[in-house]
Amino acid sequence: MSRSYDRALTVFSPDGHLFQVEYAAEAVRKGTCAVGVRGKDVVVLGVEKKSILQLQDPRTVRKVAMLDDHICLAFAGLTADGRVLIDKARIECQSHRLTVEDPVTVEYITRHIAGIQQRYTQSGGVRPFGISTLIVGFDPHDKAPRLYQTEPSGIYSAWKANAIGRSSKTVREFLEKNHKDDLSREESIKLTVKSLLEVVQTGAKNIEISVMESYGKITNLELPEIEAIVADIEREKEAEAERKRSRLAATAAGQAAMSQRAADAGQGSGQ
Amino acid sequence: MNTFATKFSTTSAVGQLRKAQKLAAEEDEFSDAAWGSEAGFGNVAKGAPSFTVPAIPDPAAFLRLHTDDHADPSCRIKIQHGTTTLAFRFQGGVIVAVDSRATAGSYIASGTVKKVIEINPYLLGTMAGGAADCQYWETYLGMHCRLHELRNRERISVSAASKYLSNLVYSYKGMGLSMGTMICGWDKTGPAVFYVDSDGTRLKGDLFSVGSGSTFAYGVLDQGYHWDLTDAEAQELGRRSIYAAGHRDAFSGNTCNLYHVKEDGWHFIGNYDVSKMHYDGPGNVPGAPGHGYGYDIRVEGRSSANPPEASS
Amino acid sequence: METSFALTGKGYVIVAADTTSARSIVKMKVDEDKIKTLSPHLLMAYSGEPGDTVQFAEYVERNIRLYQIRNIYPLRPSAAASWIRRSLAESLRSRKPYSVNLLLGGYDTATFDPHLYWIDYLGTISEVPFAAHGYGAYFALSLLDRYHDPSASLEEGLATLKRCIDEVSKRLVVSPGKYKVKIVDKDGVREVEL
Repeated sequence: MSRSYDRALTVFSPDGHLFQVEYAAEAVRKGTCAVGVRGKDVVVLGVEKKSILQLQDPRTVRKVAMLDDHICLAFAGLTADGRVLIDKARIECQSHRLTVEDPVTVEYITRHIAGIQQRYTQSGGVRPFGISTLIVGFDPHDKAPRLYQTEPSGIYSAWKANAIGRSSKTVREFLEKNHKDDLSREESIKLTVKSLLEVVQTGAKNIEISVMESYGKITNLELPEIEAIVADIEREKEAEAERKRSRLAATAAGQAAMSQRAADAGQGSGQ
Repeated sequence: MNTFATKFSTTSAVGQLRKAQKLAAEEDEFSDAAWGSEAGFGNVAKGAPSFTVPAIPDPAAFLRLHTDDHADPSCRIKIQHGTTTLAFRFQGGVIVAVDSRATAGSYIASGTVKKVIEINPYLLGTMAGGAADCQYWETYLGMHCRLHELRNRERISVSAASKYLSNLVYSYKGMGLSMGTMICGWDKTGPAVFYVDSDGTRLKGDLFSVGSGSTFAYGVLDQGYHWDLTDAEAQELGRRSIYAAGHRDAFSGNTCNLYHVKEDGWHFIGNYDVSKMHYDGPGNVPGAPGHGYGYDIRVEGRSSANPPEASS
Repeated sequence: METSFALTGKGYVIVAADTTSARSIVKMKVDEDKIKTLSPHLLMAYSGEPGDTVQFAEYVERNIRLYQIRNIYPLRPSAAASWIRRSLAESLRSRKPYSVNLLLGGYDTATFDPHLYWIDYLGTISEVPFAAHGYGAYFALSLLDRYHDPSASLEEGLATLKRCIDEVSKRLVVSPGKYKVKIVDKDGVREVEL
């Protein structure tokens, strides 16, 4: 009975679920992780890169795409779906400039992308996009960095920092604990890398970072830069662990001393 | 042959029907070609709005035949042509001034026409050419500007509004629309004036004048214009330029309507009678010279006569 | 009357277009830029039917930009010229063709040579060492036949352009007042005051 509901693409199940959309969300959860962090006047996108095969050309595998001069997008989920959606978004960016002269705002293109995703949950003969996206950028004539997320269902929302994809829940919780308002450029990058390291075990070579500092100013960090940041974080972690160890050792020593004294006292009273 | 013509005609009744059917069908179809931006303007009508055109092969030719287009003044349908409108940007915002005469051939159809169209509290459009075309499409533009506001939670820029109008009239190019308009307003970038006409031309600029009396208005306007005019001086310049056109151009005149666009939107400054301005000036308003604008009044008592001094 | 010139030299193309925008006997604007920068090494001067010109130029501009965003690398001048010509040719066979004349100047960063294409509203294309559109062409072409040098330095090239502009100002009844001059070479696009 219920099987027909998850076969028919866009038909509600009796308890109000659209199974295909939920399966799409599942595909997102299987995708590589992407993190977005909004700082004071900077916004950073970080993605987990799958390890490339020995003979593969790394340049052909990219998960951060430029939509227009002032907008970048990262996605998690089915890469092929991502490519299609990105192309639609790029066309819209240019089309918008053609029709009203102004470039798109970040919210506008987010709404457009979410709109496409929603249409694919309500039409016959199609399946939903198996991707969530993080969209970052700056609005024209505006200095505030923006970060938006879209989901396969067509929901979109604005965030201070967020993660999508594999283990996004863990990363989001990490961000909730560590994100502060008004982060500087360096702090934002560091937080992004740090949160990605929660899920990426292999370190710098599997991390890709894009930084947008103002309207139209985008930089992709080179591997050595990321390696330096990772090393920095490792060192901090090491120092933290060291402190913990020494604290533990101190407590242990203290306890040992205490029990020694107690033993000594016991002996003393015994005499 | 006949069926072939019907099939590919876009203007016949059948063609219209087919177009309507196609639009209805497109609603739930996934055509990638249809992903062209409507820039948030979509849905009220798909792409450029369409209305029923006469069920004849060439509506533009039909229009030419039955309206007083230049040569033939005996036609039944007279389209209002003569006008003077002007708008300019200066330090204190935008001044928009227009006359109020509507002529149909050699006959003054009305002397109290509102040629400034209040699109919304921040946008003004002026009217030259076909009155109906301007009124209809600028009101339509106002509708879309409001939709833009609701969708994007911010006011539409003057540049986007004018571009929308220009794309709209461009899609009807060659079908007989006749408009020459200035879209004026204040947005994030400050005061702005755009000239848009039915050829599809759209120009950004500081100073424009449109209509049969525009040359006369330019004569006064260009000479008196500079960026640092005070509000009073600018309003006076607008008035005086329209007066000049109203005085010299047979198809312009009656009264002048004056608007001033500032950061908080447009303000209606006043309505001034051209004849009264000629003899008495615009009355007790900021910038008024205190006498009539007319040449005879302005130079009263002065003479070019240069007789030899009487020998005493 | 609308006039545009372009000429090549050693490693560069100069493109110049008048800046007036007229309606009947009135100049509506005297500082209109009629040369679009399509990509980092590509310039296009356009003239023709009012309305069509800007609509077509912007259409081309956005499509070339889209190509670059999609493929990271921009189209090379010869490819861009072919695409633009084809767009015009297709439009010519539509219900409402664009009446636009173009001069396309670009620098090919792969082969290190400048290219200039003359394109008219009928979709004719021709790669040329110098070109002109509008009434100015009647004066400038003979002048350029006489004075153009394909290996001229930038200064010499600009001097030749100056000759064209001066000649047109001298002989054409309603000659344009001001020109916008842009150069494209290995360093990209820049505007110069003449």
